[in-house]
Amino acid sequence: MINFEDELKKFHPSLEVEEAEEAIYNKDLTDMADVLVKLVKEAEDTKTQE
Amino acid sequence: MKCYSCGCNLTEEDFCTNCGADVTLYKKIMAVSNLYYNQGLEKAKVRDLTGAIGCLRQSLKFNKNNVEARNLLGLVYFETGEVVAALSEWVISKNLRPKKNIAGDYIDMVQANANRLDSINQTIKKYNQALVYCKQDSEDLAIIQLKKVLSLNPKFIRAHQLLALLYINNEEWEKAEKELHKCCKIDSNNTQTLRYLKEVEKMLMPDEDVKGKKSRKNETGDVVKYQSGNETIIQPVNVKEPQSHGTFLYLGIGLVIGIAATCFLISPARIQSARASVTEELRTISEQSDAKTATITELQQQIDTLTQDKEKLELDLEGYAGANGTLQTMEYLTNAAQAYIADPTDVENIGGYLDAISSETDVATTSESFQALYNTILSAVGPTLSAQYYDIGNTAYRNGTYEEAITALQKAVNYDETNADALYTLANAYERSGDTENARTTYGLVIERFPNTDRARRSQNALDGLQ
Repeated sequence: MINFEDELKKFHPSLEVEEAEEAIYNKDLTDMADVLVKLVKEAEDTKTQE
Repeated sequence: MKCYSCGCNLTEEDFCTNCGADVTLYKKIMAVSNLYYNQGLEKAKVRDLTGAIGCLRQSLKFNKNNVEARNLLGLVYFETGEVVAALSEWVISKNLRPKKNIAGDYIDMVQANANRLDSINQTIKKYNQALVYCKQDSEDLAIIQLKKVLSLNPKFIRAHQLLALLYINNEEWEKAEKELHKCCKIDSNNTQTLRYLKEVEKMLMPDEDVKGKKSRKNETGDVVKYQSGNETIIQPVNVKEPQSHGTFLYLGIGLVIGIAATCFLISPARIQSARASVTEELRTISEQSDAKTATITELQQQIDTLTQDKEKLELDLEGYAGANGTLQTMEYLTNAAQAYIADPTDVENIGGYLDAISSETDVATTSESFQALYNTILSAVGPTLSAQYYDIGNTAYRNGTYEEAITALQKAVNYDETNADALYTLANAYERSGDTENARTTYGLVIERFPNTDRARRSQNALDGLQ
């Protein structure tokens, strides 16, 4: 049985056009490639220190 | 594909031919990203937009520079009515690849039409307002607002879902089902939509247990409420259909109510109107009657005046008219003229006619021809008549019969105004008869008409003596 109150909590206000710019700037664009590069760099740094 | 370290194009080798970096894992990451993109594309083609969004997001998590995946994600967002999310993806895509990027066309398409952009923004604001209404338990307002949103943006999945949820909450199952089917047409595999739809279908086609629950839920007292299309049917339970005599009874009651309404509502108004009309007519008739009465009074006055004039004229005419209907004075004048023509010396006969004229009428009021003939005859016989009447008057004066003397002497003066003896003797007769006033007047006439004469001097003495 659907609970109206619980279901209503799943709905969130939609972003307005004026808020789009801020949303773009705040978007986390980190991807797996960034993580890989970071890991490789950290590994190289560790080797260098050793 | 380019090396993550130096940016050079990679070959089939597992390392960068330029910088020597190991790109094995990197290439696998790129491959996974492409795999998700392909899956997303497949799902989007069959309108599994929710699934496509999931795959494309995964693709971008592996490779944020997957412009095709990002553009497709934006397109899918746009299709579900999430315009701002779509624009965000396209803007990022455009920044990642400024040239030869279809995202630029998409952005231009949305932004080129200011009205469309404004409409999109209004849609979002109304949706947010509807959400606020829901949280404030103003569900009716929320439904109205969401209907407006969907009229502006019919593909807004979240608005459809929220509207369906509100209908479900109001137990308007068929309306909810309708909205959810619209969602399915746009996004065929939306988990939330399918969950709601399952609930709704369960309520619309329940098994025995659910049916029992539903009927219990819908039963309110002695009625059963259910949906049929857009209408809510409320049917009484365990109530017999009204019999035919009941129908007649209701018809009778309706008839009585109709008659009562006619008597108490319609008739008074009509009576009032009729009374007003009659009053107006009476007022008009009364005004006309008053005007006619005034006219009649005026005409009656004219009739009275004319009647009086007529009577007066008739009396005057009777005075003028003789026994045979001719004017008496004219007859006298004619006879006087005839007598004068026959014998100019017959002054006694002529004088009789002239006396008759002067006694009957005032010659000054007669016609000019009458006066001319009368004066002609009078000038011819006047002095002679005057002398005769003077003799008669003087004799009577001497005899002391002053009344007779006055009468004869007046005629003598009338026939000849230059007869000074007659006028003087007339004054003496008035004096002797005791008519002092006429005596004075006549003495005055003697002094006036015959000044510087012996008669005038005597008259003056007589006047002095009277004073």
